[in-house]
Order: sequence, then structure tokens, then C-alpha cells
Amino acid sequence: MQREVGTLPLAPALRARLAAAGFQTAQELLDTGPCGLSKEIGISREEALEALQVVRQECHGDAARTAGGSGATRKCTALELLEEEQTQGFIITFCSALDNILGGGVQLTKITEICGAPGVGKTQLCMQLAVDVQIPECFGGVAGEAVFIDTEGSFMVDRVVDIAAACVQHCHLIAEAQQEEDHRKALETFSLENILSHIYYFRCRDYIELLAQVYLLPEFLSEHSKVRLVVIDGIAFPFRHDFEDLSLRTRLLNGLAQQLIIIANDHKSAVVLTNQMTTRIGQSQSTLVPALGESWGHAATIRLIFHWDNSQRLATLYKSPSQKESTIAYHITPHGFRDVQPPAVTHGTEGTEMNPRKRPRTEEEKQ
Amino acid sequence: MAAKKLRRAQLSQEMCERLSRYQITTCQDFLCLSLLELMKVTGQSYYEVQRLLCKVSRACAPKMQTAYEMKLRKSVNPSSAFLSTTLHSLDRVLHGGVPCGSLTEITSPPGCGKTQFCIMVSVLATLPVSMGGLDGAVIYIDTESAFSAERLIEIAANRFPTYFDSDEKLLCMTRSIHLYRELTCCSVLKRIMSLEEEIISKKVKLIIIDSVASVVRKEFDTKLQGNLAERSNFLTRGASVLKYLAEEFSIPV
Repeated sequence: MQREVGTLPLAPALRARLAAAGFQTAQELLDTGPCGLSKEIGISREEALEALQVVRQECHGDAARTAGGSGATRKCTALELLEEEQTQGFIITFCSALDNILGGGVQLTKITEICGAPGVGKTQLCMQLAVDVQIPECFGGVAGEAVFIDTEGSFMVDRVVDIAAACVQHCHLIAEAQQEEDHRKALETFSLENILSHIYYFRCRDYIELLAQVYLLPEFLSEHSKVRLVVIDGIAFPFRHDFEDLSLRTRLLNGLAQQLIIIANDHKSAVVLTNQMTTRIGQSQSTLVPALGESWGHAATIRLIFHWDNSQRLATLYKSPSQKESTIAYHITPHGFRDVQPPAVTHGTEGTEMNPRKRPRTEEEKQ
Repeated sequence: MAAKKLRRAQLSQEMCERLSRYQITTCQDFLCLSLLELMKVTGQSYYEVQRLLCKVSRACAPKMQTAYEMKLRKSVNPSSAFLSTTLHSLDRVLHGGVPCGSLTEITSPPGCGKTQFCIMVSVLATLPVSMGGLDGAVIYIDTESAFSAERLIEIAANRFPTYFDSDEKLLCMTRSIHLYRELTCCSVLKRIMSLEEEIISKKVKLIIIDSVASVVRKEFDTKLQGNLAERSNFLTRGASVLKYLAEEFSIPV
């Protein structure tokens, strides 16, 4: 109640008038009442009432916070966080090596950044994740929906159809092997049409559309509360050209990162960004580094760098708070994102002893 | 979209006037400011400013479509999704041919046949849909002056002798291929920007640029300081306009 008038979220002109009239704390405002307020500072009674309502809301919010209420606060003990993290699902990538180095898959509530040269498979992984997030819980998925924000135009529906068909077939194989009731029920809703209708696609052509879309995302996510994945494919593309003012770019990018962190936390969804590579010209050599500068490197919690080694595609976990740095090889097949070596075939031992979170090992065709 | 005036974003008249005093007239200016700056400029409270932000964002944001709707739209006319190159193995690898609605890049060392391929694809695009073409005009932006009209007629006559059996048909085909010779980066960019109206008026179904690299390498020497940034600026700007044209009109580029 001792809050100073200058810190209240009122219009600046109103704040200036209150300061000139000599009001110092919020309590004074509340004591005066709307009629007295309007007479003293010369505003209409309706405006005074509105201002007082704002003040009251703020003060109640403060009181709840100091009394240790929940909701607006984000305070909890580490034990609660541990329990939450252990029950949290991961979004698998269908490449078990990649899932392993990530600690189970793409984490919810965190921002993952994928950097790589053109053609190495970033958009493929994004499309794979948009399908994988919808895997029902009994098969080890998070049963969510996906928002796909495309700035480069590289989203191919036909490719998503291929990936989704392979995923559905995979789940059918598991269900046949295990013969459980809930598997069969889940499979009824996990069809191609359902998968495609739960990928929400936005095509942003420049950075203004991207900013506008991210401002509107919280509202969209509250309407579609099952969304568990937000993919922004090509966050570097709209910011790399036509920007004379680099400090404005840094400010906009930081604002964007902040909003994405809030979205990831509030809606318990994973945010995946793809970034381009740029050449840093040193004294004698030039190296490929992720684009958008050093300060952008702090935005993502987990950073994956995809690169080539002769003709093999490799993925390196570059930055992660809980896993160590390592490199694995991956493959892009007509079915989507996969491991390099097909794991050993185990036909005979399939049955009830299989862990439902693990997929059955099927042989991949060599291309 | 970015240059959309705030008036059309359904802000009130007095708000627009007030903002224009601070030189904020387009959505771009509005969205680039932070919340505190917006409060100062509009003179509104925090919550009001957030509401205004949502209103302006709604005016700029793209429309939502689900992947299912996109698939349905594509499957409505499957033949128009690709331009077959009539080379069966190439078509197989490309899943049907040169895709409509996106950019395709052809690169190779000199002399491999890129310009020949472009000429052949222009002939294919003018063919009627029943023969696997797009039945439309072609815009050919030539930066190396390598386009030969005689070669065009030779390819057409030899490849499709039954269709191009009369001179009239050949002339009709050549009339629908519009050739632009541009020799500098600036003129290429200007030409790309002006293409939107031409596409609608001439019913263009294919855009070919032969070639992007030659004009860029001529003008931008990468060893000079600062040229790298300008060159990538030019390239990305051209690429984004071409992508927009390809998607908007569903034509191959």
C-alpha cells in the first residue's frame, strides 16, 4: 500500500498530473476516492474511476505476492521442479542417438535452437517434430498439437504427409506387437487427417509479420491449449537483410526471445528455432558460426549444430544445461529423420516384455 | 505488410494523428518500439497499450491455415503442382518435376547445359496442360545474353514435331516467351520488383533467371570490405520477392 505513484501503470500524462498535485503513495489515491481525485487534478469522474480501478488491481496483485500467493508468482522449491521435470514428457525425434544426447528428446518449456548450413536437414527435423508431438501418450509421446511459423517458405506439405504416414505405420506396428486396448483406441484418433489438421501453419514474409505473430501467440495458445510445440523455421532469414540499424535488430531479437521464453513456460510447450550459419572472417581463416550475432546465442537454452562431414550428416549438441557436448550421425530417409545404422532386428523377443516407451526395432531399407 | 498504414489497422483517428506527430505512421514503426516508448508516445496506460499492440499485430499477422487445408488445396488439382521436365529419371527424383510455388536452383560448371535446360523448360511451359505444360507465358530474365531464339525454335520443332507442325504455332509460342536483358544488379532487382503486374497481365506461368551468379560476381568483389554485406543484402531481397511471387501465383521460378 505504500507503493509510489510513479510506479503504477497509468498513462504518463496522468502520472505527471498526480505528481504535480502532490500525491505520493497509492494509499493516498485510494483514500481520496474518485470524486475528490477528479476535482483535485482536473480530470473527469470516469477517468478517475478507471485510474483507481487500475491502482486497486495493482495493489491486490502486490498483496497476493507478498502473502506468498501462487498464480502471478513463479516461485517454487527445487523439489517441486524436480518432480515436474521427471514427469515431463519429451518430444522424440525418431533418431535414438539424437534423443539420447538430448536426454530423451526435445524438452518442453525450453527453447531449442538448431543451426546449420543450408540443406543439412533443419526443416526436415522441424517437420518431424511437428508430427512427433502428436504421438499419443500410450506410445510415449506428449499428445499435443503444433504451431509452425515459416519465414522461408520451405514447408512442403507432401513431405509432412510422408513423415506422418511413416509415423502412423510405426505406431500400428507397436500396437500389433503389444495388443493393448488403449493403444487401439489411441490409434483411431491418430490418423493422417488428424495429424495434418493439428499443425497450425503461419507464413510470415518479413520481420514485422513475425513480430506481430509472436505478440498474438499467447492469445492463440490459450484458445488452442493442446499446443505443445512452437516451431519458428528460419528466425534468421527476415532479420538478415534490410537492416541498417543493428542495435534495433538486437533489441527486437531480445524482445522476441523474452516473449518466447514466457510462452514456453506459461503454456508448457517446447519452442524450436532454426538459425542459419554465417561466415566469420578471422585473421587467416574463416569459420562458420551461427548467424544473428553473439547476443542471440544467449536466447536459446539448448543449441544443436548440424553440419556435414564428407557426405555424412552430423549433429553436435553445442549448448545444454544438463547434457554433455557430443556429436552423433543421422540420416534423412523417405520416412523422415532417422538413425544412421539400422538397429539389430529382434523379431522373436517382441511381446509383452517390451517397454512401451521404446519403439520396436524394424529394419530400414538401404537407399 | 510492414508498410501498412496505421489508419488501416483500425486505430482511432485521434490516435493516428497523435502518433504521426512522432513520425509513427506505419505498422512497422509501431511494432518496433518497446512498451515503455509506446506508453510515452500514445499517452495510454500499460493495459491499453497492450490492447493496441494486439490490434496492430492482428492487422499485420499472417492468416492461419492447418497443414490439412494446405494438402486439400494441393490435391484439388494435382496436375498443377509440378511442371514435368519430360526427363523421366529427373522427374522421378524430383517427385514429379519442377515444383510450382517454390524456387528451384540449377547450378553447374560452365558448359553443362543450364541455359539449354532453361530454354527447354520455357518451351514446355507454353504447351497446353494436356501435353504436360502450363499453358502460359514465360518471363525469361537473361543476364548473360545467352538466349538464342533460333535454338528455341529448333528445340520446339524437334521435340514436339506433331504439335509445332505449322509456323503459326511456333510464332505463337515465341510470342508468349518474354525476354528481358538485364546487365546490372540494380536493374535485375528493379525488374523482379516490377514482375507482379506483368504476371497478372500476361498470364505468366514460369519465371526463369539465367543467371543470378554472373551478374552478382561481376559487380561485387568479395575481397573488398563491406561488399559481402551488400551482396547478401541484394541476394536475400531478390530471393524474398521471388519466393513471394512463386507462392502467390503458384508458379515455378
